[in-house]
Amino acid sequence: MKKKIIFPLIAAIPFVIGGCATDAHYVQTGDKEQIISVGQINIQDYANAANAAVKELLDSGVLDKVSNPPAVLFVSRIINSTGQQIETDLLTQKISKALLDSGKAVTTTTDPAAQGYGQKNDFMNDQKNTGVPDFTLSGKIIETIDRAGNTSRHTYSFHLSLNDTKTGYQVWEGEKEIGKQGTRSTVGF
Amino acid sequence: MKMRIYLSLAGIGLLALAGCTTVNTVENAQKEGQRNMVADARAITDASLNRKVSIVGVNTSLPPSGLLKVQVELQNRTRSLQRFSYRFEWFDANGMQVNNALSASIPDQIEGKEDKFIFGIAPNPNCKDFRVKFIEAN
Repeated sequence: MKKKIIFPLIAAIPFVIGGCATDAHYVQTGDKEQIISVGQINIQDYANAANAAVKELLDSGVLDKVSNPPAVLFVSRIINSTGQQIETDLLTQKISKALLDSGKAVTTTTDPAAQGYGQKNDFMNDQKNTGVPDFTLSGKIIETIDRAGNTSRHTYSFHLSLNDTKTGYQVWEGEKEIGKQGTRSTVGF
Repeated sequence: MKMRIYLSLAGIGLLALAGCTTVNTVENAQKEGQRNMVADARAITDASLNRKVSIVGVNTSLPPSGLLKVQVELQNRTRSLQRFSYRFEWFDANGMQVNNALSASIPDQIEGKEDKFIFGIAPNPNCKDFRVKFIEAN
């Protein structure tokens, strides 16, 4: 009698587990289904950091102060001081694209073909392009971890600075802190 | 017996209040700056969020850079912290939505009874109109 009850119960387990599984589907970055990892930088964190940096940079008006607009920007090094391997291009490319779209800045390219055409153009027009950008953009990502019992709080600080190549001074600095706290990763805002 | 019930209720009340933190503020009464308030059109589909976090007003400015700046004042009507996310959308002079590289939802929070400002800057000088979307966090 007992066996008769236990076997159907065991047989039902895979169906119950199967019902809990999530079918694969497309998601949008920053939507309500996003995964929030406490000990990791998620894709929406890069977007939020880039958003804050671009907003502050455009609001500061520093890019409008160049003598020959739009400002020429060289995206320099972003130092990763976190304990994880991260792709800093996820941050810098978003910033570059937003600044290009704004019309307030253009960025230098590392594409050898474009550089070659530029040099050829200078030669044909008997010009000497110094190739020195107006500004360089550099930064650092720092992670701090606090723990209390099972709960941990990871704070990622995105520091960015804009440096004037003519004076060597830092003319703008932006900072965005993204803090995540919990005992485990979750889905949602 | 009655005493026990009262004590239990008081205990529950204290526990409920423990999660509430409200904000006291002070500001200059004679304002120097004048806000350029704009008439706004609202579409409220989440009444629950609107009851908790309401939109007080919207003001704009057009700085020399030509990038429209929009500021939205929010108020938390409840006594507890509320989490939400918002997203700015931008439109050109023809009403066409402008592609924005940074259009992700921005998570934010507001303390109990707090007044808070959020702001957005147009992605380029062609943007003339805007829309802000709010979604309550889980």
